[in-house]
Amino acid sequence: MTTAPRPSPAAPRRRRVRSVAAPRRAAAAAVVHLLLAGLALAFALPALWLLLAAFDARASARVRLPEAFTLDNFAAVATRDVLFLPIWNSLFICGGAAVVTVAASVLAAYPLSRFGLRFGRPFLYTVLFATGLPLTAIMVPVYSLFVQFGLVDSRWATMLFLAAASLPFGIWLTKNFLDGIPVELEEAAWVDGASARQSLLRLVVPLAAPGLAVVGVFTLVVTWGNFFVPFLLLRSAERIPAAVRIYTFFGQYGQVSYGELAAYSLLYALPVVVLYLVAARSLGGAFNFGGAMKG
Amino acid sequence: MAGETTARRGAPPALRPGPAARVLPLVPALFLLLAFFAGPVLWTVWASFTDAALTGAAAARTDFVGLRNFERLLTDPDVLDATVLTAVFLVGSGVLGQTALGLLLALLMQGRRGWVRGAVGGVVVAAWVLPEVVAGFVWAAFLEREGTLNLLLQAAGAAPQSWLTSLPILAVVLANVWKGTAFSMMAYSAALAEVPVDLKEAARVDGAGPLRVVWHVVLPLLRRTVAATLLLVTLQTVQVFTLIFVMTGGGPGGRSTTLPLLMYREALGFGDIGYGTAVGLALLVVAGLFSAVHLRTLRPEEVR
Amino acid sequence: MRRAPAALALLLAAVPAAAGCEGSGRDPGTVKIVYQDFGAFRAADPLFRRVKEEFEAANEGVTVELHPIEAPAEDYQTQVNLMNRSPADAPDIIYEDSFTINQDVDAGYLHPLDEYWADWEDAEFYSEQADAAVTALDGKRYGVMLGTDTRGLWYNSRLLEEAGVETPWRPEDWDAVLDTARELEAELGDGVVPLNVYAGTPAGEVSSMQGFQMLLAGTGDALFDEEEQKWVTGAQGFTDALEFIGTVYGEGLALDQRDALNANVATLNNDERIPDGEIAISLDGSWVTQSWIESGNRPWPEWEEEMAFAPMPTREGQEPGAASMSGGWTLAMGAHTADPGLAWRVMAHALSRENALEFAVEGAQIPVRSDVADSEEYRERSSIVPEAVELVGVTAFRPAYGDYPRISLAIQEATEQVVLGEATPEEAAAAYDAEVAGIVGPDAVTGG
Repeated sequence: MTTAPRPSPAAPRRRRVRSVAAPRRAAAAAVVHLLLAGLALAFALPALWLLLAAFDARASARVRLPEAFTLDNFAAVATRDVLFLPIWNSLFICGGAAVVTVAASVLAAYPLSRFGLRFGRPFLYTVLFATGLPLTAIMVPVYSLFVQFGLVDSRWATMLFLAAASLPFGIWLTKNFLDGIPVELEEAAWVDGASARQSLLRLVVPLAAPGLAVVGVFTLVVTWGNFFVPFLLLRSAERIPAAVRIYTFFGQYGQVSYGELAAYSLLYALPVVVLYLVAARSLGGAFNFGGAMKG
Repeated sequence: MAGETTARRGAPPALRPGPAARVLPLVPALFLLLAFFAGPVLWTVWASFTDAALTGAAAARTDFVGLRNFERLLTDPDVLDATVLTAVFLVGSGVLGQTALGLLLALLMQGRRGWVRGAVGGVVVAAWVLPEVVAGFVWAAFLEREGTLNLLLQAAGAAPQSWLTSLPILAVVLANVWKGTAFSMMAYSAALAEVPVDLKEAARVDGAGPLRVVWHVVLPLLRRTVAATLLLVTLQTVQVFTLIFVMTGGGPGGRSTTLPLLMYREALGFGDIGYGTAVGLALLVVAGLFSAVHLRTLRPEEVR
Repeated sequence: MRRAPAALALLLAAVPAAAGCEGSGRDPGTVKIVYQDFGAFRAADPLFRRVKEEFEAANEGVTVELHPIEAPAEDYQTQVNLMNRSPADAPDIIYEDSFTINQDVDAGYLHPLDEYWADWEDAEFYSEQADAAVTALDGKRYGVMLGTDTRGLWYNSRLLEEAGVETPWRPEDWDAVLDTARELEAELGDGVVPLNVYAGTPAGEVSSMQGFQMLLAGTGDALFDEEEQKWVTGAQGFTDALEFIGTVYGEGLALDQRDALNANVATLNNDERIPDGEIAISLDGSWVTQSWIESGNRPWPEWEEEMAFAPMPTREGQEPGAASMSGGWTLAMGAHTADPGLAWRVMAHALSRENALEFAVEGAQIPVRSDVADSEEYRERSSIVPEAVELVGVTAFRPAYGDYPRISLAIQEATEQVVLGEATPEEAAAAYDAEVAGIVGPDAVTGG
C-alpha cells in the first residue's frame, strides 16, 4: 500500500482516446454520461427528500418542493434536550473515541512497522481478523461487562469501548501508512542518538499526519453513526448521543412530523458531512484508503 | 508495498531502540483490545453454554446447560429463517448491490471530467457518510405508502406498494445498497487508477471494444481488489443492525429478522441471554470464517 | 520512553475514574426510581417529578434520582431487567407492570413489602383484588398497585348517528358488533374506518392484549389453564377469536393492513385518526382519553360529546355479557436497595391520596385506592367513563409467567397471518399450537 498521491490518469488518456476513433467514442461517452446521470439521480432522490422536507412547513414522506418554506422545523428541534445536549454528547463520545483510536493506533503501529517484532505477524493477523468480527454479536457480553464494573451509563467507558472497536482497523490502516514512510530518516536520527519516542514524535507523526487524519476522521464518521452501542450502554437522557436521541424522539410518534425529523437529521449529519468534505479535499487521494482495500 | 517493507529490515540492530521501547507502545492498544474485545468474545463462548437470563429463576442462578442452546439453534425454525434472510440480505445488498454497482460506477467514472466524477461520486458518498439512523429514517420515508418511490411508480403507471410491510427484506436490501455502495466504489476507483494505461491501449489497438477491454484486461487485474473488497463488504453486511432496526424492527412477522436482530430479540427482548449469545456465537463463527478467508487472500509476506 | 507509560497510565486511570464519576455506587441517601415515559403515556413522569420535589424538600439529605426510560413497553422491560442484574446499578423503586412481578421475584430482583404494608395506615384503602395482583407465588407481597384499567369499545356517537345507528350503542354479541361495522361501512364510505381491532406483530403487546385477548376473553377459553398449570392449545375460542379478526380485516371493516401493521398504530389512532373522525369504533383501553385531555398529546375538548364507551360483548352474549382485560402498573422495591425503609417512605409518598389522584387523572387510570375512586374530586376531574370502571367486575388478567412474552409473540404472529390472508384462522391456530409446544415444551401444554 502506498499513500503517495496517485497520478491523475484522466487527462492524458482522454487526449489519446479522441485520436483513435472519435465518433464512436463520443457516442459511447454519451451513453456513459446518461448512465451516470441516472445512477446519480437514483442515489440523490432519497437524500433530496431530506433537504426539501426540512424546509417544508407541511412536509410529507414525498419528495416535493416545499409548499410553504419555513425554518420552523429547525426551531422546533433546536432545544437543549433534543438537539444540543445529544450533539455535545456525540462530540464527546465520538471525538474522544477518534482521538484515543489515533493515539493508540500510532503507538501500536509504529513498532509493528519499524521493528521486526517476534509476535508482530500473529498480532497483525489477529488484528486483521478482529476487523471482521461483528460488533453486534458481542454487545450482550459487553453490556454485562459494563454492568459488572459499574460502567453502564458512563460516557467515558462508552467512548473507550468505541475506540477499542475502531482499533483493529485503525492499527491496520496506520501501519500501512507508516510503512509508506521511508525509514532512512529515522535511522539517521537513531545514529544521532534520538530515542524511538523522539523519532516517532518529531519525524514519523508529522510525516504520517495525513494518514492519521484519515484514521481519525474515519473513526469519527463511523462512531458518529453508531446507534447500537450507545443505545445499550447509555441510559439517561443527559448522556445519550444524537444517534440514540433521534431514534427515541421520532421513533415513538411514528415519524409523524416528517419536517422536524428531516431537520434534525440534517443538523445531526451536518458535522460529519462537513468533516468528511474538508478531509477529502485537503487529504486528496489518501482518503480513498483504496490501498487498504487491496490488502 | 512488499518491496518497501523488506527495505526496512536493513537498519543495523545496534542502533534500534531497546526491547522495552519496542513493546511498551503496544500496551494501550492491547489493553483496550483485550478488555473490550477479547473479554466479551470469551464471555460469549461461556454464556452460550449456560441458561443465563435477564429475569425469571435462571437470572438468580445461572447453570451450565451443555449443548442445549446449540441443539435448539439447529432445530429452531426462526434461526433457519433468519439465516436465509441474512443470506438474502448479504447477497442482495452486499454482493449484487454494492459490489456490482460500485464497480459499475467506478468503471463509468473512469476518465470522466473532474466535475462529473465529483458530482456523481459526491452524491454516492453522501449516502455513505450519513449516519445509519438517518439513512434508516430516510428510507422508511422513501418507501412509505405515501412516499417517493410510490409516487414514481404511480407516475409510471405501476401499482403502489407498501414496501416496508409487503417486502421488508427488499426494502432493507435497497437501503443498504444505497448506504454502502460508496465504499466499494472508492476501493475500485483507486484500483482502476493503477491499471496501466498502456495495457488498455494495446488491447484497443488490437481492435478490442471497450467492453472486451474491461472484461479481458481490466477485471483480471482487479481480481484481488474485488476479492478483498467483497470480503470486507461481506463482514460489514452480516452485522448490519441499525438500518434494519430503524426501518422495520425485523418485522413484520420476522420477515426482515436477520441474525443480528434475532440475537437482539432473544437475548434482550426475551431476556434469554444464553440462547441469544449462542446465536451471536454462530454469527461470530460465520464472520470469523469469512475473515479467515480474507486473511488468506492477502499474501502472508505482505503482513509483517 | 517516558511518554508512552504516561499515556497508558492515563488510559488505565480513565476507566475507574469513569466508574466513579458517572456510574452509580449504592448511596444509602439516594433513592433511584425507574419508570417508563413514552408515546402517549406520560402520567408517570409528572408523578415522580412531583415526588422528587416534595420528598427532597421535606427530607434534608435525601436524593431522589429519576430514571425515565423512553422506550416501548417491551424495551422498557429489558432496560429495567438489565439494571436489576447489576447490584450497583439496580433501581430502588421500579414502576412495574403487575404481570412481570412473578418473573422478577424468581430472578431475585424484588424486595418483599409485607412488613411495611402491615404498618401502613393507608393499606385499608386497597381492595383484596388489588392485593392478589401484587402477591407472588411465594405468598409475599411485592408491589402496590398504582392504577388499573379495562378495555372495551370506544365509539364515535356522531358517526354512528350519521349512519343511522341508535345511540347509546350496546352490542349484545360479536355479530352485533360486526353488523354495526358493516352498516357503517355501507353508510359512511371509504373515509371512515368502521372498526379498529389491533392485530399483527408491529404493534406488539397492543395487538395481543387490546386485540386478540379481548376477543378470547369473550369465548370462555383462556391462554393458560390455572388449575392444570398448563398452556392451552386447540381451544375453539382461539380459532373463533382469529375468525373475528379475519372477518374484520377480510371484509375491509378495519384499518388498511398497511396502517394496522405499524408499530405506532395505537398512538396514531388515538392522537390523530379518532379526533379527526376517521375511526368509528375502536377496541382499545379505558385510558385513551388521556390523549384528549388538556395536558394530553392531542387536546380535544369535544371528545366528551363525541366519544362514548360500550363494553365488548361476549361471543354469543353469554354470561357475564361483557369481556375485559386489565393490566395494572405497580410500584415495586428493588432487592438491592440500600435502605428499604427510606425506599418505602418514598414509595408511600408516591402512593398518597393526592398523588394517586393526580396520576389517575393524568393517566386516565382507574384508581385502586377506594378513597380516591369514591372522591367527588376524582369524579369531577377524571376523564374515565363510568362504563369502563364497571368492567372491573368481569375483567381478566394476562398469565403472569416467564414464557408469556414468547406466547404473546406467537399470538401476534397468528393474528398477522390472518390479517394478511396468509393463513385461515384454523391454520393459524394450528401453527400457534405447534409454536406453544415448542416454547414451553410438550409437557406444559394441555388440550388439542
